Amino acid sequence: MALGARRGSSYLFLIPALLLYSAFVVYPLFTGLTYSFFSWKGTLRDGFAGVDNYAGLLSGTFLDQLLPALGHNFLLFAGTMLVQNTLGLAFAVALSRVRRGKRALQTMFALPYLVNPLVIGYLWTLLLSPTFGPVNSLLKPLGLAMPWLGDPQTALPTVIVITTWQWVGFPMLLFSAALSGIPPEYGEAARTDGAGSWQVFWRITLPLLKPAMATVTILSFIGSMGTFALVYALGGSNGAPAGATDVLGLLFYRTAFASGDVNALGTSSALAVFMFTFIFGSTLLLERVLRRKA
Amino acid sequence: MRLAAVVALAIAVTACAPSATTRAAQDKVTLSVWGWGPEANYDKMFAEYEKLNPGIDVDARSFTTSTEYDTILSTGLAGDSGPDLAWLRAGPQLQPLVEAGRLLPLDAEDVPGLADFDAGVLRAATGDKDGKVYGVPFAVQTLQVVYNKKIFAAHGLTPPKTYDEMIAAAGKLKAGGVVPFAFGGKDDWMLPIVASIFGTAQWGGDEFIAAVKAKEKKFADPRFVAGIDQLNKLKPYFPENVAGVSYTDAQILFSSGKAAMFPGGLWELNFFTENAKDIELGVFTPPAPEGQGLMPGFTDGSYGVNVKTRHKAEALKFAAWLASKDYGRLYTDTVRTFSAVPGVTPKDPLLGEVATTFDQHGAAYFMNEFAYGNPSSAAVFSKALQEMLLGRITAGEAAQRLDQSVSTWL
Repeated sequence: MALGARRGSSYLFLIPALLLYSAFVVYPLFTGLTYSFFSWKGTLRDGFAGVDNYAGLLSGTFLDQLLPALGHNFLLFAGTMLVQNTLGLAFAVALSRVRRGKRALQTMFALPYLVNPLVIGYLWTLLLSPTFGPVNSLLKPLGLAMPWLGDPQTALPTVIVITTWQWVGFPMLLFSAALSGIPPEYGEAARTDGAGSWQVFWRITLPLLKPAMATVTILSFIGSMGTFALVYALGGSNGAPAGATDVLGLLFYRTAFASGDVNALGTSSALAVFMFTFIFGSTLLLERVLRRKA
Repeated sequence: MRLAAVVALAIAVTACAPSATTRAAQDKVTLSVWGWGPEANYDKMFAEYEKLNPGIDVDARSFTTSTEYDTILSTGLAGDSGPDLAWLRAGPQLQPLVEAGRLLPLDAEDVPGLADFDAGVLRAATGDKDGKVYGVPFAVQTLQVVYNKKIFAAHGLTPPKTYDEMIAAAGKLKAGGVVPFAFGGKDDWMLPIVASIFGTAQWGGDEFIAAVKAKEKKFADPRFVAGIDQLNKLKPYFPENVAGVSYTDAQILFSSGKAAMFPGGLWELNFFTENAKDIELGVFTPPAPEGQGLMPGFTDGSYGVNVKTRHKAEALKFAAWLASKDYGRLYTDTVRTFSAVPGVTPKDPLLGEVATTFDQHGAAYFMNEFAYGNPSSAAVFSKALQEMLLGRITAGEAAQRLDQSVSTWL
């Protein structure tokens, strides 16, 4: 008797949370989905449009924006993995060997991610300004002064560097936590058997960090796909220069709020549904692959 | 005893208060107006109307100038919380509100002043499909070159009369260590503006634009290509790495006295007057290689009436005042921008100078007439011009991209 009744009442306790979740997550997602199947006159719903809005996303002029933007999202992801997360791991390993001031150093590394990305972006545009910025004044004697954010070649790598500067503390904290969970006996045993510290890291530490890496990879993927504030602050809504920093978030912003198109609501809803499905689907896939390996 | 009197007085006051306010509210009609820009300007201008119409209380609310305003307004007008009147964007960005039926069409019977407005100015407040007017235009912006009189005098220069003179002056300034033109190409919305300042005369102004609209000509026409190619020709006189310089960087170059000229909109005059008080400002229209230059201009926005307003008669009467010369003068002198109301002469001498030039050599700013489509042709062309400045494509290719984008909706 007890088990069945308890299970029934435990479902009862889920109802308040479920109601809030439905009202603030499920309902908006669902309305977004329905919006994408109608044509719009401003905020006035017009006729049923079928998949016209989705076909619009694939039309020549729109696709010419969508594909590069998506490509830049992937480049950001690759850059984040390569630069930010590698550095994060290096910092975590280095910090695990520090005896004094470890907490203070961790806090310092993590500090920039408490600041809004818009503010970070604004600060870096000032630092990197080709006319007044201190970075170029320092680099000029070395002959390395460049319009970092104004040249399509360097703009996206610069965005990756700034993202890293802001977020490196995050993978560092996750890796630190995972490192402290590895029993020191493993390393000691290996050393007794004659393994060098590089071998210990490569053969013992790294394999045991795989679950943490999977988490970091998935969070980086979601972060890179949904990025908006930083790129907006650095390159404006068109992803200057010449669309070199354009990403899906900016494309959505332009389509929804800045196009002046009468059917902006329909097209942007379709784009939002595409983005959600794409990010959700890829994340699931990534999760499955990474967890299986881990 | 005294305490009782105080209590009685307090009761009397509190008892009085609500009835007094209800009476005032019953007598007075409050018209709410939404817009962007400094709220103090609205309060100052509308106080005049309140003086003339004691029964009306105009309550102005200003939102940020950014795109948030469009979202706030379209949401407000869709529900019941919208204003009685609102500032509307010009041209293409007005159409979603028109097609959703959120605005009251205005005719010359309700707003007599509209009949005198310039047809080109009114077009920016007109529905594309039904041809009806939905707003009383409030401002006209012109595009020209602002220059620093002291720097010009120090180099023995005067505003150039010919194209060769302009190039010679720019060369002299550059040799003297001054950036000739403060211009940044990183914020790409500035690119068509600057292209039109230097190129409109070369492609033949309104006549050419009309021919493109009638599909008789294409933007790939050699005259248009030569016009936008001015950006390439003048590149030596722009800041170094111009495509990486932001709009604010360019403003700082000019306001700090490091640059002598700033090609831009009339709104820059206000910015520079406030932020660079010691700079003496002048304006000129750059001459074209063929001779006289043209000054492009566009209607900035208009006052529209909410179709759901509960005070239709009062709102229309207010709209009629907004189309009057009284308001036009008030607007010009308060905001220091051209009023869209015809026949208003600005008090400010610099504005007066611009007004004279615009009357004689004015033309429509081409980009606003082609800002349709999704992505809008303006966005496509801005990006193309940026790539042109970066040396990745030629002026001809940039023009072709504009043609291609325009062909999706024209």
